[in-house]
Amino acid sequence: MPLDYPIHTRTLANGLRVIVSPDHTAPVVTVNLWVGVGSRHEQQGRTGFAHLFEHLMFQGSRSVAKGEHFESLMAAGGRLNATTWFDRTNYFETVPSEALELALWLEADRHGHLLDAVTQDNLDNQRDVVKEEKRQRYDNVPYGHALMEVYAAVFPEGHPYHHPTIGSMEDLDAASLEDVHDFFRRYYGPRNTVLTLCGDISEEDGFAAVERYFGGLGDTAEPTDPTGSRLQPLDGPARVERHEDVPNDRLHIGFRLPPDFTDDFYAVSLALEILGGMASSRLVKRLVRREHLANGLSCTAMGFVDGVSLGLIVADVDEDADPSEVEAHIVEELTRFAAEGPTPEELEAARAQTERSWLSALASPEERADILSHLALLHGDPSLINTNLDTHLAIGADQIREAAAAWLLPQHRAVVAHIVEEEAA
Amino acid sequence: MSTPTRPEVGPPTPWSFPRPETHRLPNGLTLKAFHLPGQYVISVRTVIPLSTTVERRDREGIAALMSRLLDEGTARHTSEEFAELMERKGIALGAGMSDGGLGVDLDVPRRNLADALDVLRQVLAEPAFPEDEVRRMIRSRLAEIEQERALAPHRAMREFIATHFDASERASRPSAGRPETVSAITREDLVDFHARHVGPEGATMVVAGDLSDLDLPALVAATLGEWRPQLHVVPERPTRAPQRAHDAARIVIVDRPGSVQTEFCIGWDGPDRRAAGWAAYPVLGYVVGGSPTARIDDVLREEKGYTYGIRSSFRPRHAGGLFVTSGSVRSDATVESLGLLLDILQGAREGFSEEELRAGVDFITRTAPGRFATADAVADEAAARALDDLPDDFTTDNLARMRRLTRDDLARAYSEVVTGDWTVVIVGDAGAHAEAVRALGRGPVSVIGA
Repeated sequence: MPLDYPIHTRTLANGLRVIVSPDHTAPVVTVNLWVGVGSRHEQQGRTGFAHLFEHLMFQGSRSVAKGEHFESLMAAGGRLNATTWFDRTNYFETVPSEALELALWLEADRHGHLLDAVTQDNLDNQRDVVKEEKRQRYDNVPYGHALMEVYAAVFPEGHPYHHPTIGSMEDLDAASLEDVHDFFRRYYGPRNTVLTLCGDISEEDGFAAVERYFGGLGDTAEPTDPTGSRLQPLDGPARVERHEDVPNDRLHIGFRLPPDFTDDFYAVSLALEILGGMASSRLVKRLVRREHLANGLSCTAMGFVDGVSLGLIVADVDEDADPSEVEAHIVEELTRFAAEGPTPEELEAARAQTERSWLSALASPEERADILSHLALLHGDPSLINTNLDTHLAIGADQIREAAAAWLLPQHRAVVAHIVEEEAA
Repeated sequence: MSTPTRPEVGPPTPWSFPRPETHRLPNGLTLKAFHLPGQYVISVRTVIPLSTTVERRDREGIAALMSRLLDEGTARHTSEEFAELMERKGIALGAGMSDGGLGVDLDVPRRNLADALDVLRQVLAEPAFPEDEVRRMIRSRLAEIEQERALAPHRAMREFIATHFDASERASRPSAGRPETVSAITREDLVDFHARHVGPEGATMVVAGDLSDLDLPALVAATLGEWRPQLHVVPERPTRAPQRAHDAARIVIVDRPGSVQTEFCIGWDGPDRRAAGWAAYPVLGYVVGGSPTARIDDVLREEKGYTYGIRSSFRPRHAGGLFVTSGSVRSDATVESLGLLLDILQGAREGFSEEELRAGVDFITRTAPGRFATADAVADEAAARALDDLPDDFTTDNLARMRRLTRDDLARAYSEVVTGDWTVVIVGDAGAHAEAVRALGRGPVSVIGA
């Protein structure tokens, strides 16, 4: 049965797509903007730029001082942040209803007039901050580079998903003020942005408020590039082995998957859930529960839009186990699953878990707004929020088996193995 | 079209934390029900008073290990069967120890609530602790200890408690146990520990979500109401804060040669939520180090660019608490950053501006309606306050006390905690920094291995 969250959509004359979803259960509204630019749009030599740019959006704009965006929204009871990912950059705040207009005014000022305030000092300062973010989250952490190594092994050189969103130190160093200006003009503007209001606001008041603050922005940026060609499964297997100072051996096994918002992607996501996303999953039972060869195992599907997505199996190998034995078990289960598909019990569990996690995600206006923006920007239809669960629940055992046979066979894998470095005798 | 002028923010909408309907079951369990329309996933949080101070010294970590084994096999189902049973009903379950007790968290779509409550009864009342699963979870904890040792923030916190608290205190050692104590735990130890320390008497179960058309008291009576343990006695929990080590005010460097960042953990004792002046402390944490524009990040992040972010917070325990400032900086900025951090923390004894007071109070009080807009957030808060023995109105009343705070209140509350003494733990390259840290003259410095 479809869900029934109210969805109202309108496009302003300057191209801004606006979604209003009223929910009066709490006196708060979430403002959520998705801009159609992420690390997949970055040029060679400028990796990490979309994310560095996101930081600059908090450094002041035409009528807003450095730090004022955070300070004034937080003092009004706002919780806010921004994130950058392969396909998009998002900016969001949840504010008490009485601070909605301030939030829209601040967002319009930076999304329309950022360049008036960008300085070399701000760029240098935030470049340093982002480098510390990189060190903290990737360079100073065991296995911190594993995901980057997976991207590089699964996607070909020069492909939009070959490099990570955080970028490289050299490219961050190379970023100039001119790059900031070019990037803003090219990608930031109403025509490449979706704005969602979710919460304690009516349809009419919501559209009127967005028109008031965003209606006057120029129709500048172009919508981002159409997506490229579809990638086929990796003709592998590929292997990267790192001997490092890590606590345990760990395997990251990556696969190319079909693009997001396709039935094939939903089916292969369910296959991964059944293989290793739940406590009762096949790989967890075999490697963690029965054979005690792994301390933990997880499976994830990351949906992307540009011709391909990413599937990931991560196994934390037990101290006394041999990583190649763990890998052999995984290979065997992948082959078996592609031949046999899921049991009725496995399918029932995967569907029940999908239902709970989808309903939990929709429980708060923050996450609901984020999902609406996501669906509108990257798929063109926010009303999927009400039907997406049914679409997933209608995927059958045969579709799941076929998707696994197409995408999750062992010869399509890329293995990144982090192996405990032997100490010198 | 002219640019619109900056809009004013109106006065806040009056708000209070939802009030539960409370029932007491004959077996001593308290049920608190929050009906939250439109919340279709029901959150159930069960809290049982328990302190790790009751653990035998050579079995430390048994409470945490027990919590992880509750759903790994019951009287009627093997571990695998039980995992399947839960997953086919869309149940998510997690359990763990906090300072005040054992918590079991469960989320489930509302149509499966009755099944979920029976699952919860089995988890609490009849876990079987199968030998195989016990061995597996011990290995898993041993691997986790190694993982934590490799993560700078965890490594720093472990050294912090060991340095700050007197060695006689349980709080000076990891709550989930050390390799030698965890390895020694047997199935019999777990069965006995569970029988003595886990029961409905004194426990609270919070149920939050859209409860329309559900007879919750009847559902609970038919499941958790049947929980009747034999040996359970409500355990004593400490009523005083753990004692500090006599030499707590010192600097310990955990040596990690070649580290590209340095992790800090700087702290001293703080209050718990039952302290009369508690309302000031969340505001102080926010103003000193709770946001990108707070005193610390204003300098270390936004001016200097040394860090992605450093946070200060008051961390209340069941009795007593800590005031902790933690985060990482670029390795070559280690010594300057330490000096800056200690100066900022010390300088705040001179007081706070009217703007800082308002910013902190407004942030915490005005974000409350949004922070508590979902079933899981309401259930988490209500269960945690129940475990603290605080009344249902505490969350609302505390926000009201916050709104009445003055600059004098803030300055007094801060100075009561911040004496100028600090336990400082630094995880980083000792060879590169130890000498310069000593030269800062901020306290005795020792270097230990990673």
